[in-house]
Amino acid sequence: MRREMKISLTFQKQAYAVFFALVLSLVRGVAYSNEIGIALEAPMAILAFTFCADTYTQEIVSRRSEIWRLCPGKKRIYFIYRRIVIQGIFLLTVAVVSYGLFFLFQDPITYGIRQNGSESEICQFFVYLAAVAVTIGFWGILSNLISCLFRNMWVGIGGCMVPWLITNSIFGNRIFGAWNLFSYSFRNLEDSSDFSWIYGKVVCICIGIAALAALPEIIRRRG
Amino acid sequence: MGIKIEDLTVTFRNHVTAVNHANLEIPKGMFGLLGENGAGKTTLMRVLTTVLSPTSGTVTLDGILYSEKNFEKIRKKIGYLPQEIDLYPSLSVQECLEYMGDLSGIPRQIYRERIDHYLEKTNLSEQRRKKMKQLSGGMKRRVGLIQALLNDPEFLIVDEPTTGLDPEERIRIRNLLVDFSEGRTVLFSTHVVEDLAATCNQLAVMKKGKFLYSGNMKKLLEQARGHIWIYKTKEEGTTRELGKKYHVSSKQYVGDELRMKIISETPPQVECSPCEATLEDAYIYIANREV
Repeated sequence: MRREMKISLTFQKQAYAVFFALVLSLVRGVAYSNEIGIALEAPMAILAFTFCADTYTQEIVSRRSEIWRLCPGKKRIYFIYRRIVIQGIFLLTVAVVSYGLFFLFQDPITYGIRQNGSESEICQFFVYLAAVAVTIGFWGILSNLISCLFRNMWVGIGGCMVPWLITNSIFGNRIFGAWNLFSYSFRNLEDSSDFSWIYGKVVCICIGIAALAALPEIIRRRG
Repeated sequence: MGIKIEDLTVTFRNHVTAVNHANLEIPKGMFGLLGENGAGKTTLMRVLTTVLSPTSGTVTLDGILYSEKNFEKIRKKIGYLPQEIDLYPSLSVQECLEYMGDLSGIPRQIYRERIDHYLEKTNLSEQRRKKMKQLSGGMKRRVGLIQALLNDPEFLIVDEPTTGLDPEERIRIRNLLVDFSEGRTVLFSTHVVEDLAATCNQLAVMKKGKFLYSGNMKKLLEQARGHIWIYKTKEEGTTRELGKKYHVSSKQYVGDELRMKIISETPPQVECSPCEATLEDAYIYIANREV
């Protein structure tokens, strides 16, 4: 596992992820604490699909894929899944730290939520954590899948950018509503008891599972 | 049994034919593969490692036909060192080889023993804690070779294994390959003719996707016999003209005299004497003769 961490979490990747979180928490303004999740979800998706695009394609770029091909198919897939999990855990940690950094740098107002009485700060944080975990997992898996399909990480990043732009827009919200991939960001902030955004996250989970299931065949054919 | 290639053709999407109706039998032991850049050697090796599917023709390994359903079985028998490979720069030599061992599905105990053995054999034991990115090109090449040997393959394919190695290390690697080839097949592709001369009894010469020669090294040398000439002169002007007219395999100053080895089907039109062919001369002769 330690070897896998050294491969998939290189210093450069860790550095740009942390820098990204730091800059975001400094420049993206929030007034209330319940806006932090909205401020973070879409950028974390960008970070996830950029970060995970080279999960396997690094083997192609370094010409190790020809050796990988000689290894048992199940082992190859298991190693790729392991990398996805490691990267996902790291990105989730970054997302948690980013949440804290928003509090540190922007000191958002929290009393509004308390007045409502239905949601505590900690509860709000755990809801964010669940939503962002799905977001990171989904975009990370998707970008790896597209990268593997086209044997190019840049196609993976570009291929994710398109649905990101569509779904992270007013247009996307109008079309998909609660089923939007970014439903958490477009949820009604005034009504904290509204959990209809979960449908969007269920869509993410379903597509993510389908992508994970398709990966072995893509690696077998294109790896 | 070895490897049998029959009427193999590989044509890419851009209509370039890298291997053109090639036929070859690779027996057990060391087998050399020689050819100019772009001759189709790497394409052939990629077919043999199942990375690339041929456009037509068949390949069998120990009687097993190269086909989708047999790939898993075939791949277990193969070890491969590609021409260019960048093994995990952030891992140490030991970690990198252990990772490759895990990936290959070799039991930990076994791959650790093999890693120790081959690190010793390739003179890398002291470098095992060094990160891959800290190694010299020659050291990286040796680590690459160890990873190819880790699964104890029946068919080892090595593409330029001696690139970047100093003379002593080259000899060490050559000897390692010869020892390893006992009872197995080692396909040794290189530009360094000297390496083949020192290790292989059988070889094939490739040009433009076809085999110009395949067989015994002695017979290759015999084919070139009578077509290698040595010309001695003190005038540089004549050598320049001869260089334009004939293939010259070597030029050497001995005192104030210039000795030039000319490869020609017929005796050159200057005063020269026939001489013994080396593998390099024979390769140049075979690769450039009119068919």
